[in-house]
Parts: sequence; C-alpha cells; structure tokens
Amino acid sequence: MVFKKWRHTRPFFGAILTVLSGLMILWVPLNLYLSTFLPGSVAVIGLLFGGLITLMGLMSFFLPSASKALGIIVIFLSILSVIGALGGFLFGTVFGIIGGALLTAWRMVPAEESAGTPSSDVPAQPAKTG
Amino acid sequence: MNGAVIMESKTNKKVFWGALSAGLLALGILLVSFGLSGVAYAVPIAGVGDFYVEFDKLEGEGYKFYPKLGETSNSDATPQGTNIIEKLTIDNLQLYKDFQVGGEWIRVKIQASKPVQISGLQHDAGLIEANAKFQNLALAENNSTDWTKQFQQTSSTIILENAKLKTHYLFQETINMAGMKLTVEKIDKK
Repeated sequence: MVFKKWRHTRPFFGAILTVLSGLMILWVPLNLYLSTFLPGSVAVIGLLFGGLITLMGLMSFFLPSASKALGIIVIFLSILSVIGALGGFLFGTVFGIIGGALLTAWRMVPAEESAGTPSSDVPAQPAKTG
Repeated sequence: MNGAVIMESKTNKKVFWGALSAGLLALGILLVSFGLSGVAYAVPIAGVGDFYVEFDKLEGEGYKFYPKLGETSNSDATPQGTNIIEKLTIDNLQLYKDFQVGGEWIRVKIQASKPVQISGLQHDAGLIEANAKFQNLALAENNSTDWTKQFQQTSSTIILENAKLKTHYLFQETINMAGMKLTVEKIDKK
C-alpha cells in the first residue's frame, strides 16, 4: 500500500523506462572499454550519455516536480546517444524517447478534477479530437 | 473533502504524444543525415561472436599487428591477432554472421557497393586468408613478460586482395559506407 502511494506520486513508469534506456546505452561503450581501451575515442561520449540518462531516470523518482525538464533532457540525450554508443543498438534510444515523453507529460492534478465527473476518465480520451 | 486537496498522478496524453513524435522525428532526421553522408561514428561490432569479413581489395596506411587472447562467442580466451590500421579503403566489402535459429541457419549480411573508407580500425581475427603486400614491413621481438608484447609486426602500408577474415571483434572510429545494403537470408549449412 505504501509502495502504491509512493508510486502514484511520481512518474514511475517513465522513470523506469528512462533508467532501462540509460543502462542499454551504457552497455555498448562499457562492453567496448572492457575488451579494449582506446583512448581519445568517440565512444567516451556513449559513457557520458548513458550515465546521464540513467541519472535523470533516478532523479525523476526522487524529484518528480522536475520531471518535465528531466524528460526533455532525456529525449535530447537519447537521440544524441546514437553517436558514440549506437544508442544501445537503437533500443536504448527508443526507450529513452518513450520514457522522456512519459516524464514530460506527467503531472499532479487534484483528484476532484477527474472524480467530479466519474465517467470522464475513460471517454475523456476518445473525446479529445483536436 | 473539507479543504484538503487530494492530488493524483496523471499523464497528459496530448503532451506525451507530442513529445514522443518530436523525439522520433528528431531521431529520424539524425539517422537520415547519417544515411545521406554515410558516416557512422565509433562503430563497435562486438559481443556477436565470430563473424566473417570478405573483400576484394584493402589498401591501408599505418599497420600494426600483435597477438592477444580474446573473447569469442564460444570461449572466454581464444588466441587471436589484433590488426590496427590508421586509415584504409576497402573495395567490395561484405560482413556476415550466421545464426542458428531453430533448425535453420540465417545469414545477416552487410554489403557496401562502393569503396568504404575507415579510420581508426581495430580488428581481432582468428584467421586471415589473403594475398598480402606490405611496404616497410618490420617484425620485432621484444623481451617482455607479457606474451602479447613479445612479438609485433608493423608496416607503413598494407594491401590485401581477395581476403576472408574470421573476425571476433571490430571497431572503427569513423566509417563511411556509401551504398550500404543489409540483408537477412536463409542459407543451407550443415
């Protein structure tokens, strides 16, 4: 119950996807550096991007109020990670973009807003037609 | 209920789809610009086990070779040779790897129809078959407790023709692959 409450007060799935994406992006340059150390190579950027994305994911767990800004940075870094880390063979990039978009779109709203109109939760989606 | 506002976590779908499509669009632009210039940066092909590299001709500058023990898909330590070439051009390059999926063999093949330019190549091979030409070839033995440093081969230029290389690890700082084609096909293999 405590976990459920904790989970509902932060962008939980966005943060999990972001951390996963960061780890995937980190995997490629880490693999590269463990088997061979090439100083001055572009792959060091991959370590930086992957590390930053993982950090942003963890930060959004504990700083939910900053999730909008964190989400935008995550999307930006995920795309750039294609250079130097191959974006975790593109899976990391795609996960990062989805995670970042979830973080950007997350917000806290007063419960009455949706509770006031009980059926608004479900039909509210198809009703949004531009 | 009485003044205390209960807050609830929500995802704004409009913002989500907006951010997602903007991100994917930016990714698309980046990939298309790579496709147009044909340049990829820091490309490692590792962890997929041994694969084959075949080409008609390779011309390179600044060549260095030394032996090492490295990882393959079947073993942690297999004797290999590391080739380092600073700058090279390859004609008719083909990279392929065979996978067994169920009872069938599938070949993933990357081909380049135009000459491929690579800088900063590191290539670990278990087998090299080619017609080779070197300039200023030097073979040197060094007194070292580390066996990988005991022998080294260097040359200012290297030309390999009709080559087939069993490769365990490949890394390029930059690669320019114009006319690249990736195919996945079923093959007969016993």
